[in-house]
Amino acid sequence: MRKAPWIFLALILLLGLVPGAALAKDHWSIEGAGNITSLSVSEDGSRVAVGGHNAKAFLYDSEGSPIYEVEAGNVVTGVALLSNGTLLVSSDDRHLYAYDETGGKLWDSDLKRQVKSLAASQDGSTIVLVTQRSKDLIVVDQNSGEQTGSIPIGSLLKEVSVSGSGQWIVAATSDQFAYLLDKDGSLMYKFSADNQIQAVAVSENGLAAVGTASNKVELFDKNGSVNSSINTRDIVTDVAFSSDGERIGVSDLSGNYYIFDGRGKQLWESKITGEGRGVQFDREGKTLYSGTNDGRIFRYDVGSVIDKAASKARLNAMLWAAAGVLAVVLILLYLHYLKKRNRLVIFRQIWKSKYIYLGLAPTFILVFVFLYYPALSGLFHSLYDWQPGGRTTFVGLANFERMIHDPYVIKGMGNLVILIITGLIKAIIPALITAELIFHLRSKRLQYGFRTAFTASMVIPGVALLLIWQNLYDPNVGLINNVLELIGLGSWAHGWLGDPNTALWAIIFIGFPFIGILQLLVFYAGLLSIPNELIESAKIDGANLWRIIRSIHLPLLGGQFKFLIILTLIGIIQDFNGIMIVTGGGPMDSTYVPALQMYYAATKFNDLGYASALGVSMFLVILAITVVNMKLIKTED
Amino acid sequence: MYTETDTAAESVSPVRKLRKNEGGLIKYLSFPQITIIVLLCVLVILMLVPILFMIVSSLKSNAQILGNFWGLPSPAKWNNYGAAFTSIWRYMVNSILYAVGASACVILLSSISGYIFAKKSFPGKELLFMMMLAMMMIPGVLTLIPSYVLYNNLGLTNTPWVIIIAGAAGGQIFGTFLCRSFMSGIPSELFEAARIDGASEIRVFFQIVIPLSLPILATLFIMQAVGVYNDYIWPLLTIRDSSLQVVAVGLTVFTKQFGITDMGTQFSAYAISSIPLILIFSFGMKYYIQGMTQGALKM
Repeated sequence: MRKAPWIFLALILLLGLVPGAALAKDHWSIEGAGNITSLSVSEDGSRVAVGGHNAKAFLYDSEGSPIYEVEAGNVVTGVALLSNGTLLVSSDDRHLYAYDETGGKLWDSDLKRQVKSLAASQDGSTIVLVTQRSKDLIVVDQNSGEQTGSIPIGSLLKEVSVSGSGQWIVAATSDQFAYLLDKDGSLMYKFSADNQIQAVAVSENGLAAVGTASNKVELFDKNGSVNSSINTRDIVTDVAFSSDGERIGVSDLSGNYYIFDGRGKQLWESKITGEGRGVQFDREGKTLYSGTNDGRIFRYDVGSVIDKAASKARLNAMLWAAAGVLAVVLILLYLHYLKKRNRLVIFRQIWKSKYIYLGLAPTFILVFVFLYYPALSGLFHSLYDWQPGGRTTFVGLANFERMIHDPYVIKGMGNLVILIITGLIKAIIPALITAELIFHLRSKRLQYGFRTAFTASMVIPGVALLLIWQNLYDPNVGLINNVLELIGLGSWAHGWLGDPNTALWAIIFIGFPFIGILQLLVFYAGLLSIPNELIESAKIDGANLWRIIRSIHLPLLGGQFKFLIILTLIGIIQDFNGIMIVTGGGPMDSTYVPALQMYYAATKFNDLGYASALGVSMFLVILAITVVNMKLIKTED
Repeated sequence: MYTETDTAAESVSPVRKLRKNEGGLIKYLSFPQITIIVLLCVLVILMLVPILFMIVSSLKSNAQILGNFWGLPSPAKWNNYGAAFTSIWRYMVNSILYAVGASACVILLSSISGYIFAKKSFPGKELLFMMMLAMMMIPGVLTLIPSYVLYNNLGLTNTPWVIIIAGAAGGQIFGTFLCRSFMSGIPSELFEAARIDGASEIRVFFQIVIPLSLPILATLFIMQAVGVYNDYIWPLLTIRDSSLQVVAVGLTVFTKQFGITDMGTQFSAYAISSIPLILIFSFGMKYYIQGMTQGALKM
């Protein structure tokens, strides 16, 4: 009887494993082409034109054998294959070239400005160009290459695309607008993108796609009615439509190629090494050609890759379903077990407490999403070369290994040791002395007054106080050098923060006379909690003040000492506020600390895996300190 | 804990009163006492040097600072404050709004979960409470960069939410602890009586628990607001737009941004940025100190 679920499970697993059609993937590489700037596929799908960054345009047949290549004076910015076999090539050398089927030059038109984008309908009846710093689309005649007209847009143009039949034109401007025009150039819809537009495409039925720098492809039509947006993993580099508008091809900067359907549902995704630099479908939408930044062309059989992706998705869904069934079975077994033991009452309790869980839900959602998840993510990614949205590769302990060889970290560790030693002295001694002084005041009102006076420095925001101290160290107008001059030590005057030998000590000296408010209050409260009888009886026995402090106060403040030492250690290891504001780690590496290096690794060098490894290391040190502390407390109890 | 220290102080005072009656003022002004007072005054003045320097310099022009460093500002340049205010008011408004928003969230979340952990029993209570306790052991340095990536992926960076949510998520842990220990001190009979009279749970919470917990909520609000107002690294990392930036970061960039070369104006800006803290401390210093010592002794 127990067997039935297992048979069922095996059955669905088998069903899911039926292999999809073999993947028809092909690729070739163009020597020295560099960035693939543009791709064009002929109407019958038999030839592919490729524009390269090396100022050449190449023509291949559908199997990837070269037919001919032509050279332009500068980077090829656009290629277009017309149905009569003509190849149009636009270039940054300000020319538009046309070649016939065999590579003979038909014409060469000088446009006076660099051509930034080229688009043509299959029959060549509509050929439009975007030239450098131009606010008009330029329309060109197919037979002579002469300019026959222009379509004013009104702001600086960036990209243009034309549908296969020439029915629709879509143009993108550098101020983040996309304009959908009909073939006569009258504006149908103006679309506002939320970031720089990287690529545009338009299908035969007037659906336009806009790829942006905010990792999105936005879709809209002439009424502005279809307004869906597709997320990609990185900045979109190119978009293309199949002629029926049912397939959208997208490439992004981290080498992902995607195929979506006309409603934005993802059908397929693949990743190559390098950057994806161009996508184009053949007319039937059966083959997708894509280019990279290092001269490679990939050819995907759309039908089979989509089938494969779909069957993989189906397999995944079935595995999930299987796991779900398994989970349900296990839960049922567990419930059965509980029922046998008569322990089901716990569920009644849980159900009774449902409003309690509801009340705790917001708190715990925040705790899990915004506290636990980042902590675990940091631990996990410290073993990775972490590129959010891009490639994240496992590197083992390489980040940690790099850390112990990083001169800034080594220097930072040395500085940290100095900061910890001085920091402990600064945190404990001045606060303790002040607390004793206040405690020994007879007048309670004066005690309260001084306590308040010391806390008054809290009213300055921490950053402002640091900036004031930075000013105090100024070599010319700083208070410190002026005081030195006043008392006749002018020769000691110094650019305290600018000298690598003094910068760290100048930072340590910030906050003089170092009376921490928390520390003061903790000690003061500790002193107040010492039973008065103890001190009175010591006095009767003839103990002097020093003796009372040494033999009664200090031992009874043990807990406070331990607490403040731990707090100071943890605080100093993590703190880099002050150093970042006052010196930024400089001059040279003289004031670096590991936490600052972590911040810089993440923000300046975008090296998030390495930053996580630094964070994890500091966490481990802090954890060790905490554990040792807890052990100590236990032994004392 | 604070109440304990108070009673300790109280128990000392009768002895002192006795002494006062015996020796009068002379006993108060004995030589050692005067020494202590002088020492403490010196320390206070040293502590306040940067603040005094700030106030004096904020009224000077560059020429006055360079030419007559030790002189008092004459004439006092009050329009330094005007110039400083026009450049940093935006940052201040942002900071105050974020601080109030985050603190309000913290109060709401902490009071609910503190009450539940203090007064309710339900399956999994210990486990959930341990989960919160464990989170207090995680230092910010571990979560700083991954949190940034998370908020960025959620599209929250460069919006007010990145400050408010981060403040609420982090602050509620400590807040729950404070509220839990405070609310377990409220006698349960109060709630029972109200429930017998037919009050719903929500009514009990808002009409009995919250009013009785106002002191701890005030403490929490002030601590959280001051914390958010002073925060520097997180906004620096997550906010790019100048119009959304907070005052802590604003103070470090406004001179470049507005092309201010007058040191007096810079010092005026620092002084202006202290006004919200002065206001909140003049109303709630007691609560802040209470929270600080309580937090210290609970840990």
